[in-house]
Amino acid sequence: MRDALRLHSEDDVAVALRPLAAGETVSVDGLAIILRADIPMAHKLALRAIAAGQPVRKYGEAIGEARAAIAAGDHVHVHNVVSRRARNST
Amino acid sequence: MADSFLGFRRAGGNVGVRNHVLVLGINGLAGAATRRIGQAVRGTVTVATPYGRGQVGPDAAMHTRQLIGLGRNPNVGAALIVGVDRKALDAIAGEVAKAGMPVETVALDDVHEDALALTTIGLKKAAQLVRHVSAQRREAFPVSALRVGVECGHSDATSGLAANPLVGKVSDRIVDGGGTVIIGETLEWLGAEHLLAGRAATPAVAKAVTDAVARREAYPASLGIDLLGNNPGEENIRGGLSTIEEKSLGAVAKGGSRAVAGVLEHAQVPTLKGLHAMDGPGYSPESITGFVAAGAQLVFFTTGPGNSYCSAIAPTIKVSAHPQTPGRLPEQIDFDGSAILGSGEDADTTAARLYVHTLAVASGTATWGEILGEGDEVFVRLGPSL
Repeated sequence: MRDALRLHSEDDVAVALRPLAAGETVSVDGLAIILRADIPMAHKLALRAIAAGQPVRKYGEAIGEARAAIAAGDHVHVHNVVSRRARNST
Repeated sequence: MADSFLGFRRAGGNVGVRNHVLVLGINGLAGAATRRIGQAVRGTVTVATPYGRGQVGPDAAMHTRQLIGLGRNPNVGAALIVGVDRKALDAIAGEVAKAGMPVETVALDDVHEDALALTTIGLKKAAQLVRHVSAQRREAFPVSALRVGVECGHSDATSGLAANPLVGKVSDRIVDGGGTVIIGETLEWLGAEHLLAGRAATPAVAKAVTDAVARREAYPASLGIDLLGNNPGEENIRGGLSTIEEKSLGAVAKGGSRAVAGVLEHAQVPTLKGLHAMDGPGYSPESITGFVAAGAQLVFFTTGPGNSYCSAIAPTIKVSAHPQTPGRLPEQIDFDGSAILGSGEDADTTAARLYVHTLAVASGTATWGEILGEGDEVFVRLGPSL
């Protein structure tokens, strides 16, 4: 069982395949990522730094943009990524 | 011929993957009698609409289109059409018969409203049709003869991660082989429509995709319902989905990555091959009936925790990539894709296995839904009855 799955080679994030704990080092496509937060199963972890306002990529597509600077190993979720479509709904 | 399956030759170049005698009830007044005929004759599949009177305008046209489309589905080797008044029955039967297979009819008009007499006549006609179609044999056909609907229901994180991309890979292979794939559920394009539009074969197709999403978005807004405020919902967010784009990208992955050849109305038969987007409801039973009325002979249905619903006419291949679901529902999940997330099986290897299984089902291997009789068809309404 792998720790996390990157769905597309251009993705900024990987998806946890089991609950991952802060401080763990996880290996994704040859990258060693030190987690800065707990990542629940099926949630996303950042594989690299993403500047505020930049797109966050999963499935090789933008799923939204960073609402704050994101570091490699961060939990990527509603607290730091926002939809580009549904801006009025948050 | 590796990429081939054994099917039933139909008029007009169509190919069935099953050879059903369809007992088709076109009016809810005769629904029970229709089902009674179907239950009495082995080798039949029954579809009986609960509607059929008091429908006008676009609602009546959509109801008729669905009935005719189901009757003409290539999996139907012969049809017994059961109605109330002769005139409406003959109109629909005449359209269904254009598909070139034997069509028989029986109406309550013919028997002075005696539903038991209707049953007797219908039973004899259905029995004759079953004997007739049983003489037909399967022949080899290329994958280009397949038209497949792709659906997801009771989705969870494993759907977007593995099951939908897995079906997407098989969709690509079917399209590359010259076949047709139909993806529906317009609402689940919202936030990913740029992707479908970006793959559109023409600017008109791209516009049709974005217009369809805009219409679905506008309808709840016109009722004062904040769709985007509910999407992704709390359950989705707990499951790790952060935005509507992310949720929709997971859903549209089941359509694969090829060019979108056209946008279809609900239950509209495509005239081209390739990937098509059907502008239809997100409720799976209605959505799947739209595919089947458009001539899909097979359906892929991905699920996370399980979902027993199937088409009555098109074998419905249940795919789950959840680590526990295939083991927990061994008589529901037709294809276990959990190795992608579990043992880390290469997704292309899993997809190759699913493709082989798909051709086996097209050639006659039974789905669990067929064995257990889970199939149904559910009709879309576009307006109130008068």
